Amino acid sequence: MKSVFITYDQAYQDSVMAILSKHNIRGYSGWQGITGCGSRSGEPHQGSHAWPALNNALLTVIDDSKVAPLLEALRELDKTSDLLGLRAFVWNIEASI
Amino acid sequence: MSSIYQTSVRKPITTALIFIAVVILGIFSFQRLPIDLYPNIEVNMLMVMTSYQGASAADIETNITKPLENTLNTVSNLKKISSSSRENTSIIQLEFEFGEDLDVLTNDVRDKLELIKSYLPDGASTPLIFKFSTDMIPILYISAEAQESLPGLYKILDNNVANALARIKGVGTVSISGAPEREIQVYVDPGKLEAYNLSIESISQAIMLENRNTPAGTVDIGSNTYSLRVRGEFVEVSQLNQVVVGNFDGKTIFLSDVASIRDGGQERMQEAYTNEKQGATIIIQKQSGANTVQIAEAVKTELNKIQQNLPSDIKLQIIADSSDNIKNSISSLQETVIFAFLFVLLVVLFFLGRWRATLIIMVTIPISLIAAFIYLFGTGGSLNIISMSGLIIAIGLVVDDAIVVLENITTHIERGSDPRSASILGTNEVALAVMASTLTLVAVFLPFTLVPGMAGMMFKQLGWMVTIMISMSLITAITLTPMMTSRMLRRNMKQGKLFAPIEKGLARFDKAYGSFIHWAIRHRRKIMGSATVIFFLALIPAFTSLGFENMPASDNSRISATVELPVGTGLNISRSIALNISQDWRKKYPEIEMINFSVGQPSESNAWGTLMNKGSHVLSYTIRLAPKNSRKRSMFEITELMRQDLGDMPDVKKSNVIAGGGNNMTGGQSTLNVEIYGFDFSETDRVASELAAKMKEIKGFTNITISREDYQPEYQVDFDREKLAINGLNITTASNFLRNRMSGALTSLFREDGEEYNIRVIYAPEFRKSIEDIENILIYNAQGKSVRLRDVGRVYECFSPPTIERKSRQRVITVSGVASGITLDKAVNATNSILKQMDIPSDISTVLGGSYEDMQEMFADLGTLFLIILMLVFVVMASQFESLTYPFVIMFSIPFALVGVILSLWITGHTVNTMSFIGVIMLSGIVVKNGIVLIDYINLNRERGMGVIRAVVKGGESRLRPVLMTSITAILGMIPLAISQGEGAEMWQPMAVTVIGGLSVSTLLTLVVIPTLYTSFAKNGIVRQRKKIAKLYQKK
Repeated sequence: MKSVFITYDQAYQDSVMAILSKHNIRGYSGWQGITGCGSRSGEPHQGSHAWPALNNALLTVIDDSKVAPLLEALRELDKTSDLLGLRAFVWNIEASI
Repeated sequence: MSSIYQTSVRKPITTALIFIAVVILGIFSFQRLPIDLYPNIEVNMLMVMTSYQGASAADIETNITKPLENTLNTVSNLKKISSSSRENTSIIQLEFEFGEDLDVLTNDVRDKLELIKSYLPDGASTPLIFKFSTDMIPILYISAEAQESLPGLYKILDNNVANALARIKGVGTVSISGAPEREIQVYVDPGKLEAYNLSIESISQAIMLENRNTPAGTVDIGSNTYSLRVRGEFVEVSQLNQVVVGNFDGKTIFLSDVASIRDGGQERMQEAYTNEKQGATIIIQKQSGANTVQIAEAVKTELNKIQQNLPSDIKLQIIADSSDNIKNSISSLQETVIFAFLFVLLVVLFFLGRWRATLIIMVTIPISLIAAFIYLFGTGGSLNIISMSGLIIAIGLVVDDAIVVLENITTHIERGSDPRSASILGTNEVALAVMASTLTLVAVFLPFTLVPGMAGMMFKQLGWMVTIMISMSLITAITLTPMMTSRMLRRNMKQGKLFAPIEKGLARFDKAYGSFIHWAIRHRRKIMGSATVIFFLALIPAFTSLGFENMPASDNSRISATVELPVGTGLNISRSIALNISQDWRKKYPEIEMINFSVGQPSESNAWGTLMNKGSHVLSYTIRLAPKNSRKRSMFEITELMRQDLGDMPDVKKSNVIAGGGNNMTGGQSTLNVEIYGFDFSETDRVASELAAKMKEIKGFTNITISREDYQPEYQVDFDREKLAINGLNITTASNFLRNRMSGALTSLFREDGEEYNIRVIYAPEFRKSIEDIENILIYNAQGKSVRLRDVGRVYECFSPPTIERKSRQRVITVSGVASGITLDKAVNATNSILKQMDIPSDISTVLGGSYEDMQEMFADLGTLFLIILMLVFVVMASQFESLTYPFVIMFSIPFALVGVILSLWITGHTVNTMSFIGVIMLSGIVVKNGIVLIDYINLNRERGMGVIRAVVKGGESRLRPVLMTSITAILGMIPLAISQGEGAEMWQPMAVTVIGGLSVSTLLTLVVIPTLYTSFAKNGIVRQRKKIAKLYQKK
């Protein structure tokens, strides 16, 4: 079991949800309208007067086998636009109930 | 998180249908909107009329007018009180503040009158309250020319025309003047009366007794009951000849032996001529609240039907139709609305370069305008000059919000969002900013609804309309616009090929502007210095050559003129002079389409006419010119020439030619009244005539009139009471005898076809021609003994004093003039310097009134309004920026707008008037908005971490297009107004010129001055901050 943390520009919300469902991923937890800033490039997402954009984030815990195709799909989505950011990070799940 | 824009994007059908419903409601309202010239201006006048028979003007003044004035003066909300006291009557006019409920005021006045009633002299009548209303102004004058039918004209018109027209919905009263009313006259020969020992009284008694139907009860014959009656009434006029009036030497004397019977028109009557042909004038007044245009249309269609049923020699023609002017004005404004729409469309297309985007933006215009129609319909408003110009102004403003939203959504799409989320997120980001900028405009227009007085009546509607339209545009921009973009915009949409070069050019322009700003903010002193110089240079024409007036006069193709011949001029002479003038004018001024005049005394039944103080020496003309576009000379030039013509005529004693026909409060030429207060008649008369003579010398100041009339010559009969008593007579009996012989005894009526006509027994005209005729009148006492009038009294010529006019409870005499060729303020200055030079006794005071007074009131109201607006706008901006400096910087664009306003008014030769004032107020809203757009973006750049100079240059580059777009749409929207030559164009030209001039100059200067000023302030801020930090470090 791995957990995948996806954080992305709000505009990607529908696309990300579509990818999840395409990969048969049902469970997730999401946060909407959060701030953030890329490490290397891209505009900050701060919901302020200067940087009005905001991010959404999503954490899903999936089988190991599903991780690679999901990341691939997300990478494809990220490529569609340079200016909208999308990042995904994978952790191990130690235990769960 | 579900916001309104999210909902509207998610539910496109609901959104679309809600707006379609609004549109349908709006179209429904629009179709039912009445058309009018001005918003409904409620009247604020009451008149109190009291009669006291037999009292002279001075008696009336002391016994009736003064006590009434003193009491009525305490009524609340009273603005002005003026009165005129003339023989037998006192008329008090009360003018109240605008916007008060007249019914309440009437009740207040009635209560006060109730209090004072018992203190009035015994013979005085109960004071009557008259309400003035705009409905008293006739909306349609129709002339009826006739030849063979002239004697019966009154009856024909009354039956066929007046009755039919009065049945039309909304028509108030239809009155006919100038048509002879039928009357049966019994002209008696006083010589024969004397010979047969008869008198007018006995003859009229005899006629009365012969002309009577008497019911005699019922009679039973067999088993039936019949009613019994005597039908003694005359069936034909000729039967009068057979009336037995007395016996002499055993022989019967018939009426035909002592009198001739005439069946014809009244002797004294008002005659009306149209293009020198005699006829009658039909005057149509509307009911309160009815719509002029609709009624006029209905009357005109009815007239066509009526004309077919009339005798062929009677021709009905419309002399003056107040709906023409309204329709023409409104239709030229409607054209302007369409042009404004097209211009905005072109500008938006030019800057956006995309058809779909342009369509999305343009949809906001009809929706916002339609919201205004719903408001107008709901509040009983009309389409008028003011509301139409509100629409035109709004067209340029309502697209702004949608453009901002659309641009942000486009940016999102270009960054890679899909149109749906881009629409929601893009709207979300700018929603607050859009609301704030709308709030700025609301801060400009909402205070219009709070103005008091006349300005309030005029502009309340405009304030509400524009506020509603921009609020509606805000709603549209955050609901319909994102909904439409989510459906219609695509990723990677290319601009049309046509727009590629435009886009390139614009981009180059942005860059050029950026480098100019770069230069400018490095030479701040130079820029600020030259801006200051420009500002002060522009003030020079403002103080030297700009004229001021209340309302621009507009050419409505109508002229009215009153010509007074010497008092006592007989009808025949008046008529021939009037005909000559009429002929002359028609020859000299081919522009005249129709000239109508009336001469002579109005009939006794015409109460309004008798109030207006007419005599056979007064001629009143109504002239209609060809439509404005089809003639070279303006109405004002022709009026001026007519004034000169009348001035050159030796017969004419006084004349008053009014351009525009009627001194309505707007649209006519400006008048200046000098009110001279003082008790002594001769002193004030002297001052007034001296002033009038000097005012005539002022160039461009014409039509100088003095309000006080001349002493009227008249004959008075002075009876000797002692001699009367010796002969067993008293004053009443004697004067009745005099009256019956000179003006006739009305004792009986002749009935025919359901109509009644007076039978008047009177001396034949040849026996009423000289003083001797009067002196020879025989007066009989109760014993039948006769005595000649000359034996008991004396006839002598004298002068009756004129009407005593009062204002603010003081005697007043008004000298008034029309500013034609010079502006009102110059006339005021010239008059003031004359007044200074004149030797005016210390107990006489002078006050300037007329349009000048209105102008001062209006300007004071509008000035206050302007200040309130500036403060409100400042408050809105300060809270938006959370700063006091930036709003201050933005406010700097307003003086530069004034530069443009002054220059454009100066170049085009317009005056500073109410309309241009309104232009200034509107324009400051747009100017301020531009400043906000610019500074907001510069601030944004700084927040994103740019340095001041880079932030300013980049901000300028990127905001140049939106600023230009807003300004150009507003300017182009106004151009059709400014160049329009249609009827009523004079009214809104100053406003349009103001907005165009002010906006173009201020936009150009704003784009340079505001970034420069911003840099200075920002630099100071940074310096101060650095000092603070330095201090902190020092302490450590």
